[in-house]
Amino acid sequence: MNKWYIEKGDQGDVVLSTRIRLARNIDDYPFPAKLDTAGKNSVNSLVRSVLFENDAKDFSYIEMKNLSRLQAVSLAERHLISPEFAAKKDGSALVLSADESVSIMLCEEDHIRLQVMKSGLALEEAFDIADKLDNMLSSKLNYAFDDRIGYLTQCPTNLGTAMRASVMLHLPALTRCGQMARLANTVSKLGLTIRGAFGEGSQPKGDIYQISNQITLGITEETAIANLKSIVLQLVAQERSAAAEIVKKPADEDKIFRALGILRNARLLSTDEFMELASLVRLGAARGLFEISVEKLNELIVSMQPATVSVANEDAATPSARDAIRAKAVREALA
Amino acid sequence: MLCQNCGKNEATTHIKQIINGDMAESHLCSECASHLGYSDMFSGFGLNLSELFGGFLGDTKPSVSSGKSPRCPKCGSSFDEIVHSGKVGCADCYRTFYDRLLPSIQRIHGKIKHSGKTAAVASAQPKVETTAEKIEKLKSAMNDAVAKQDFENAAKIRDEIKALEGGEGNE
Repeated sequence: MNKWYIEKGDQGDVVLSTRIRLARNIDDYPFPAKLDTAGKNSVNSLVRSVLFENDAKDFSYIEMKNLSRLQAVSLAERHLISPEFAAKKDGSALVLSADESVSIMLCEEDHIRLQVMKSGLALEEAFDIADKLDNMLSSKLNYAFDDRIGYLTQCPTNLGTAMRASVMLHLPALTRCGQMARLANTVSKLGLTIRGAFGEGSQPKGDIYQISNQITLGITEETAIANLKSIVLQLVAQERSAAAEIVKKPADEDKIFRALGILRNARLLSTDEFMELASLVRLGAARGLFEISVEKLNELIVSMQPATVSVANEDAATPSARDAIRAKAVREALA
Repeated sequence: MLCQNCGKNEATTHIKQIINGDMAESHLCSECASHLGYSDMFSGFGLNLSELFGGFLGDTKPSVSSGKSPRCPKCGSSFDEIVHSGKVGCADCYRTFYDRLLPSIQRIHGKIKHSGKTAAVASAQPKVETTAEKIEKLKSAMNDAVAKQDFENAAKIRDEIKALEGGEGNE
């Protein structure tokens, strides 16, 4: 089955993906930090039984202790689980749909972390799917909920709707214009957070950012989503106009075509170099400089992450072997 | 310097990150750094700010260690433990320490009244029926129709059942 990130999405030249995450807990059990492995296992099997009774068609159930470290990190690289969850073993489990658009972390920071991903900008659609699954679970489980402060979560920063809506954006032009610090400052005043999706720092890898709502209490899901959407659309418009200027400059145009030349010919590609060049090529592709689809680059950005390469290739044991495999895969994809 | 997360071990890992254009620095011990995803394989992944929530709660009031501080009846957490770890123990902790948690909640969210989806509304949603349940229901409706000699309706229901069973076979 095609994975969700291969699909073409709305505002796809700038927006890579949309994610909705709901945190839920079962009232009868202490939160995971206060729960022993046996308790976690009974929470997991309870949720599992409800899910598989109703909607099991294409879900698989994975116990984290049965995954190798690389397999777990690869799931985190694909943003299917949190990096913290990748380190968990006993008592943590993952429910994953065949197209990887729905992933449910069991006994992460909360008993249930239900996550729906869609390609492009699709906040309402993703929320709708998450909402229906949540209703189904809610009809069978005794959720921890308080009329005053909403869904009860292990960390009070998630109280209220306990919904985190995020949009992953590729902003190479705004980054190159040095606009990100100013924009980040502005969105933070609007109750949103923007940060690097692959690595932190002043320039995140691949110029890929994640913007999400920060406040969850006292704001409805619909309002939080509408706010986020309107800011994302403004960022998309700003990125497009900055990108249109950049590709007109001969020096920048040259950089983009050189990046494509390297990706098409390199014999060794480290993750960092790949991310830097792929960002430039994606910028060129999004502006129609050459006949390469942005979806193909989206897929490469996901599949060329180090642990994901290692899991897919048995002979990628060393970093240099991995770099050779990555270079070969990229050459073939962009040929 | 002690680890900012656990407050017990010496901090050996220094993390700088830029969120919303502001630089945040954290000093963690190797154990917490690894727990929070800052080991070799994870370099490049973000620190979950909520893990450092203890910082938000910490300045609520000086911790009163009278030794007889009330504990949550369900999970046994004391308010001090919650402040220290930044993690609430269970749903009942919120009920037990509601008044003491509220100032921090207000500081984080700016508001203290939930609006949006409620668990009661969510559970009142019609249950999602599996195909098997639907077929079961239709079969009993068909039998009722036959009993009432309403054969036209019964045939209609029979076709619906067939369609559902066929649909299931194709999956």
